[in-house]
Amino acid sequence: MTDPMTDPVLDAQAIIRGRRAWPLPKQADPNAPLLVVEHLTTRFKMAGGSIKAVDDVSFTLNDGEALGIAGESGCGKTTTALSLVRLLPANGRIGKDSSVKLFGIDLAKKSEDALRRYRWREISIIFQGAMNALNPVRRINEQIAEPIELRLKADKADALKRAGELLELVGIPARRGQAYPHELSGGMRQRAMIAMALACDPAVVIGDEPTTALDVMVQAQILELLERLRRELGLSLILITHDLSVIAETCDRVMVMYAGKVAEEGAVSVIFTTPRHPYTQKLIGAFPNIHADRRTLDVIPGSPPDLREPPPGCRFHPRCPFAMAVCSVEVPPEVTFADGVRVACHLYPPGSDGLPITEPTKDALVQPADSAGPGLGAGVFGDEEFALELRGETVEPESAEHTFSPSHGLTDDRSLDDFK
Amino acid sequence: MGSRYLLRKSFGAIFTIFLIVILNFVLFRMMPGSPDRILLRNPNLTTEARTAALERWGLDKPLIPDQLVAYLQATAAGDLGYSFKFHGESVTDVLAGRIWPTLILFGLGEILAVIFGLALGAYSGWKRGGAVDYIGNGLSLVLYSMPYFVIGILLLGIFAIGLHWFPTSGMLTIGGSNTSTWDQFLDFAWHLFLPLLTVTIGLIGQYSILMRSSVIETLGEDYVTTARGKGLTSGKILRAHALPNALLPAVTLIAINLGYVIGGAITVEVVFNWPGLGTLTVQALEARDYPVLQGIFLLLSVSVVVANFGADLIYGRLDPRVRT
Amino acid sequence: MTTEVLPEAAIRNERLRLRLKSIRSFWRRFAARPDGVIGVVVLIFFSILAIAPGFFVGPLQTVITATGLPLDPPSTAHWLGTDELGRDILNLTVHGTRISMFIGLLATVITILLGAMIGIVSGYVGGRTDTFLMRVTDFFLVLPTFVLALILAPIILDIVGAGSEVFGIRVTLIVIVIVIGITSWASTARIIRSQTLSVKERAFVGRARVIGSGGGHIMWRHILPNTMNLIVANTVLVFGGAILTETTLSFIGLGDPFAPSWGEILNAAESAGAMGLGAWWYVVPPSVCIVLVVLAFTLVGSALDDVLNPRLRVRR
Repeated sequence: MTDPMTDPVLDAQAIIRGRRAWPLPKQADPNAPLLVVEHLTTRFKMAGGSIKAVDDVSFTLNDGEALGIAGESGCGKTTTALSLVRLLPANGRIGKDSSVKLFGIDLAKKSEDALRRYRWREISIIFQGAMNALNPVRRINEQIAEPIELRLKADKADALKRAGELLELVGIPARRGQAYPHELSGGMRQRAMIAMALACDPAVVIGDEPTTALDVMVQAQILELLERLRRELGLSLILITHDLSVIAETCDRVMVMYAGKVAEEGAVSVIFTTPRHPYTQKLIGAFPNIHADRRTLDVIPGSPPDLREPPPGCRFHPRCPFAMAVCSVEVPPEVTFADGVRVACHLYPPGSDGLPITEPTKDALVQPADSAGPGLGAGVFGDEEFALELRGETVEPESAEHTFSPSHGLTDDRSLDDFK
Repeated sequence: MGSRYLLRKSFGAIFTIFLIVILNFVLFRMMPGSPDRILLRNPNLTTEARTAALERWGLDKPLIPDQLVAYLQATAAGDLGYSFKFHGESVTDVLAGRIWPTLILFGLGEILAVIFGLALGAYSGWKRGGAVDYIGNGLSLVLYSMPYFVIGILLLGIFAIGLHWFPTSGMLTIGGSNTSTWDQFLDFAWHLFLPLLTVTIGLIGQYSILMRSSVIETLGEDYVTTARGKGLTSGKILRAHALPNALLPAVTLIAINLGYVIGGAITVEVVFNWPGLGTLTVQALEARDYPVLQGIFLLLSVSVVVANFGADLIYGRLDPRVRT
Repeated sequence: MTTEVLPEAAIRNERLRLRLKSIRSFWRRFAARPDGVIGVVVLIFFSILAIAPGFFVGPLQTVITATGLPLDPPSTAHWLGTDELGRDILNLTVHGTRISMFIGLLATVITILLGAMIGIVSGYVGGRTDTFLMRVTDFFLVLPTFVLALILAPIILDIVGAGSEVFGIRVTLIVIVIVIGITSWASTARIIRSQTLSVKERAFVGRARVIGSGGGHIMWRHILPNTMNLIVANTVLVFGGAILTETTLSFIGLGDPFAPSWGEILNAAESAGAMGLGAWWYVVPPSVCIVLVVLAFTLVGSALDDVLNPRLRVRR
């Protein structure tokens, strides 16, 4: 039982909450952790049925922490983040048992009107692809000032002034605020998005692939900026990305997701050195290491499952080199080990010692003698694409049909031009 | 607004007008059996007018450059020739007499159609799937498939002839010029009602359909998600983010449409016997009154170019991306 | 040593099989759209009428062969009443189907041929040709083409001489066809050019150029098939628009009283003062036909466009 007087988490909490520009929400519990998400499930209703894009995901975020959510495209990371403030398309619903407790206040149970109060003021989002996330016909400073004016009831002049300060904070000269989004470079737009996210001094900032669309140099600058802001402002960050190097550099903890479920979660230092879940191992192994000796790229054969008909049992089992018979039958339970890592894998059942397993066990269906060795990649189109994606390079598919991404078409996509 | 944009569009408009004038010349002078040559065989012309015409048009001089230059000069000075049918009256006068009824009918009609069409479409797009949406959409589609004059005939048949609520033709009651101005105005409005309704109904369909799909598409854009994320109310999102972007294609459509609207315009005037440019066109066509036709073509074409230019200006005001 | 060579026949069969599969998948998707299906049914109905009008109502009635009293309301003898010359309106309307559809068809062919050709050439060749062609296209787009049509028609008629026949078709009709074609190709050209620009960037075009295929060959064998979807969808919409334009031109008086299209019937009705005399049966049948056919074309065109040019398709 930790002593609340000397618990480092509570200390950080006190310091950071003490720094807030305004008081906690009236319903807040001052001793509660910043954000506790439990059994979050998000469904999308589609023509043929419904898809669980996020299936029973739980995690905690403490003050001043940076949590990274990693995984392939379509694994549900963005949906998880958007579900926190229910920023879902019309056909998206959060499960009845889900709870999203911010300062102990359950946002999942709030009505849409009540929830609006928490959007941007407590939880804000830096969206991916700033060019599309910014209104093309309004000036940048107006867009940053908008939430300040409307949500914080400031007057226009004050709001614009504050917007200017925010722009300076992220490294954009205030007078550039007069520009329209298309007049700024990609990096500057992303910075503007960050400034906008900070406008109401929120408790939690979610970064949804904030550096994906940028080239490497700019990426580094943005990450540096985020780090600096974290330190200076005591920001609590949720960073969503498929790029593990970003997580390694910026985050304290990481949660690896696969096909809507949590595979593994824990401190970055632990997970990157001793990954347990086979998927995590592959993710890290697929990552080209400039210091290691040259070898072939470790790729994972196959592609992510179609969430309309997910594989039974563990969703990763069709691609898992260590799969056992039980993996196709039962969903693996989440087990937490002494070093604070949470894993959902049958290799680490409740009560096991938790030592990482890197070879197929005796129960594995595919023994080492059968395969040609771990990941001497089949070089199928899906693999190369995946491996390249991990490195942060995106591959342009030939047509929309070739890329499977469940997020396509998950919105209610009745023909937009029904009557032209 | 960027001066380069303004310059580009102005230059484009002027150049197009210039091309139109030349096209006019080509059509009416250069083609074999051209009407200006046939002119000389027209029995309606008096001897003086004939000599004057010969002299002015210099039909005995070479086509290019003499005739062309003369034509350009004459047009620039506002001299568009003389009508056959109207006994030598100048084309400019003939047109001037008919222009404002058309302007009122179509100006008002277009304005009403734009306002109601855009509003209806935006509402449909916002509240997708409601009764208003389905009915409005279906109705718009049917109206879009009807030629304007069919709508006109329908309305005429039901309300004017069937129910006797409105007059069946003309712009003013004949012989009513001794009543007060207010009465005259009412009389005019009474006559204007059905043709105006026809034009408005005919145009509304396209604007509503376009605005609906434009709003739907805009609502799917990422910046609307951002706006929702900011905790703005639905109304605010619609007004500040969705509509300003959804309006852009509408402005473009309105401009493009003007060229096509004219076709319907002419026929509606015919149905209601409205004394504007439309009925003038039909009369001139029957009489093969080429100078008048030529004048109408020039006037309408230039109007469309000017209107397009105006739309470009408005678009430049609304969308900062094109100003660079 | 034996060498395995794939016989020509096997390749052809495979190609045929794939094509049949894609056609079947197309039909399945198209049939799922009720608006498209209704449109097709309506169009088939009118096409049958257009192909053999005489089969249904006998030959086109003229002043001489008129069978009824002038402006008779609908009765058992004349289901849709008679016009001012005593001709049976049902007869006129059914024959009008053939004329309206025929003019529409020819005009559409010209429009699409011109538009697609200019669009593909402009998009593929690029450079100065493209700029020039697009300037011309834009000019035609700005022009109030209806007014242009209005003026061209009498000029051409006067030159050629109305009342004569070319290939068994009356000249007046041919003039309308040409005039609609000349004035409608511009928007098709723009659309096809956009598509050509994106098809041009695809890998197989680059490959074709590398192996030395000529521009014409590439345009015919590669660009054209890949723009065909768009062309087809556009054709249907253009057809509907052509019928609307022809109707309007005829209503104004450019039609042919001896080969009355629906627009021409309405023109005659207007001249006879049908509405004022309460002869609604004169006006309603052609109007209803016009609306039905244009609506059908619009629905089919919209459905085709959605089926052939999907925006986002999720695999499986």
